[in-house]
Amino acid sequence: MLAPTIQSLVFGILIGGLFGLAAVGLSLVFGVTKFLNVSHGELLMLGGYTSFWLFTLYRVDPFVGLPLAILALVVLGVVLYKLIFTRMVKLSDETKIKNTMLVGFGLGLVLQNVALRLWTADDRGITTSYSSHVIQAFGVRFPVVRLISFAIAVVVLLALQLFLKRTYTGKAIRATVQDWEAATLLGIDIHKVYLLSFVMGAGLAGLAGGLVAVGYSIKPDMGLEWTLISLIVMVLGGLGSFVGTFVAGLVVGIAQSLTSLWLGGAYREMVALLLFLLVLVLRPQGLFGVKEG
Amino acid sequence: MLELEGIFAGYKDLTVLRDISLRVGAGELVALVGPNGAGKTTTLKVISGLVRPTAGEVRLDGRPLTKEPPHRIVQMGISQVLEGGRVFTGLTVLENLELGAFGAAARKAKHENLKRVFTLFPRLEERKHQRAGTLSGGERQMLAIGRALMTTPRLLMLDEPSFGLAPILVEQIFRMIAEINKQGVTVLLVEQNVRAALELTQRAYVIENGRIVGEGSGDSLLSFESVRSAYLG
Amino acid sequence: MTRKQVLTTLLGLVLIAAMALVPMYVKKDSTINLIVMVLLYVSLASSWNILGGFAGQVNLGHAAFFGLGTLVTRSLWLSGWPLWAAMLAGGIVPVLLGLLIGIPAFKLRGAYFSIGTLALGQVLYVIVGNRWPLITSLPVKYLGSYSLAPRYYLFLGVALVTVGAAYILMRSRFGLGLAAIREEEDAAESLGVSARRHKILALSLSAFFAGLTGGAFAFYHVGYYPQFPFGPVWSFDAVTIAFIGGTGTIIGPIVGGIFYVVLKELLALRLVEIHLTVFGILFVLIVLFLPGGLVEAWQKVRDAFARRPGRPKVGRPLPQGEN
Repeated sequence: MLAPTIQSLVFGILIGGLFGLAAVGLSLVFGVTKFLNVSHGELLMLGGYTSFWLFTLYRVDPFVGLPLAILALVVLGVVLYKLIFTRMVKLSDETKIKNTMLVGFGLGLVLQNVALRLWTADDRGITTSYSSHVIQAFGVRFPVVRLISFAIAVVVLLALQLFLKRTYTGKAIRATVQDWEAATLLGIDIHKVYLLSFVMGAGLAGLAGGLVAVGYSIKPDMGLEWTLISLIVMVLGGLGSFVGTFVAGLVVGIAQSLTSLWLGGAYREMVALLLFLLVLVLRPQGLFGVKEG
Repeated sequence: MLELEGIFAGYKDLTVLRDISLRVGAGELVALVGPNGAGKTTTLKVISGLVRPTAGEVRLDGRPLTKEPPHRIVQMGISQVLEGGRVFTGLTVLENLELGAFGAAARKAKHENLKRVFTLFPRLEERKHQRAGTLSGGERQMLAIGRALMTTPRLLMLDEPSFGLAPILVEQIFRMIAEINKQGVTVLLVEQNVRAALELTQRAYVIENGRIVGEGSGDSLLSFESVRSAYLG
Repeated sequence: MTRKQVLTTLLGLVLIAAMALVPMYVKKDSTINLIVMVLLYVSLASSWNILGGFAGQVNLGHAAFFGLGTLVTRSLWLSGWPLWAAMLAGGIVPVLLGLLIGIPAFKLRGAYFSIGTLALGQVLYVIVGNRWPLITSLPVKYLGSYSLAPRYYLFLGVALVTVGAAYILMRSRFGLGLAAIREEEDAAESLGVSARRHKILALSLSAFFAGLTGGAFAFYHVGYYPQFPFGPVWSFDAVTIAFIGGTGTIIGPIVGGIFYVVLKELLALRLVEIHLTVFGILFVLIVLFLPGGLVEAWQKVRDAFARRPGRPKVGRPLPQGEN
């Protein structure tokens, strides 16, 4: 009774880390630009496929290939920003959120269908020589691949925090979040800040996708699920707190895992969604966030 | 040094400024006074690039500024302190100031500028590692001005620096502004507090309902109804 | 009534009569099916438009209402209820769901509401998929008597009722209130317009007609997975069709629906559905450049031709006193 629960807990934490990573990407973009890019999940999916094809066609180890997955999404992010999102920078906050959400919606649809046409609807996963390795400790199995993925997620998020707190550019980003007019009057190029944040968000999605491809599986329509998860975790964790977002990711991961154990896999997806609806109604600023004045 | 000619500007369908023309010479301390809603803030925003005029031109040393984005205008040497200061409350005093030195030129002069700001506003040096959100109103205004100074401006534009401050603080701030001007920075001051503004400057423009209705110094401005009522009221 | 209104009404009546006569002179089943598809999408998009276009609340989970309509109508009809009763129930149950979620949901403003509906749609999709995983097929007795004509008329009826209701709504005082809320909710509230009540009513109507559409769907199809009509693609279709046609107008969803089906047919050259990609791109373009959709595009074209020479463009007088 206890052992499966702990095992489930572990699995929940391991995937929760990826939930947190994906959500931070979305949160970064939304926090800075107020773009609600609901095609975030599709970007993640594309990152996964990049990793997958690099491995399948060129034998690139999925972890080694991560920087390439990130790069691919960074490039895509630049393209999408310059073609589409840059036109919405000047809108009022409310219109911006609404319009970018709609655009993201359409974009997600397009990306999903392109992926479907190119790569079929089959589930794909990366199986390496070490994919089945497991570390046994305290009677619990820790799949090596997922463990490494979790570690990578944590390291990247810590690096991101450091970047935002310590570097000049990071501070400029934070300043822009707080007051973009005041920031621009100090010589900070808001367009550059927006572009950077958007691209970083895409890169994080790509990274998360690559990690999902190796530890789990990917398919073209996974985008919606991951967008919803990212949204859920983002709202749960509250904007402006990456630590909170990461913890929220773990919470959701654990909740899903335990539900799957106790109620059966069918209801796994629902838990996160129901949690989300509950939080939206009761506490829109999330568990860690600050109430907007 | 700075010239506005025939500026028309507004927001959406609302025309706020009508045919604004004014001039600020290098080293001057000029005020723009007028009642609430006259278009003072909009005028500043046109100069700093936050608002695009629908007609007219802004020139700095003869060079047209009107099409430039705000951050470029800052690099050219014009710095605006927004109404209410608008400091970054989540960052420390020092971080706020450092962000003023964002541009390449400003970054080189960072140390000097920092020393200068701390000399002008010793209170800021005392609180340099405190989060800006914990500062008092007066200190925030000082921080906002100090931050603008970090951009090494040739022209400093202040939007209602006295707003919401106790008279003693207003006096203090205005003294600092005079000092800054003496150090060679041209100043354009927007104020509702006409009395304080006129005491500080020799030359002022009066703006009413989006139009410049007068220009002059001290006594000659008293002939304007709005000035008179503000001065005496 | 003006001459223009008389002409428009006559035209409308002629069109409706023509539509009613379709099964009589159109022999090919495939053509009738095509028109049925148009009617389906028109109803779906029009019902969405009541909440999304008129009231400005973007519902990304419209499939929940549509799906519930199919579920309820199908179950009741197959268990012996008369069709009309099953249809009515299929319209009402989604309203109940709408009221249940509407009351807390409208505490959420703007985007929060939208992603909330997105999540809700997914929840229902998952629940239904788990609870009713098997195909629902028409039992033999119904199969024998399956005829396309009544199904066509049912869809036609639903479409007419939905569009008609939307039309009446838009012209009423209620519709005016909705428009005010859509533009500036706070300002509307300060004028005494109860945003909550308006939104909930709009939601209910939207749900009802989506449910009716679902009912028609349930009557029309021989066999399908109960989960299918709850799928996100139906929510996407409703939103994209309404937007491409032109939200906030009556004719927008109609134009959009026709456009969608025609495009789908024209592009049905490959096995995998390319029309979704094209539609998605179109949708993005419309949101970016032409938020009024095809209706707006048409109006712009008309305006370009309507500007008669010699008529001076009257400038707007400048407002007195400003900020």
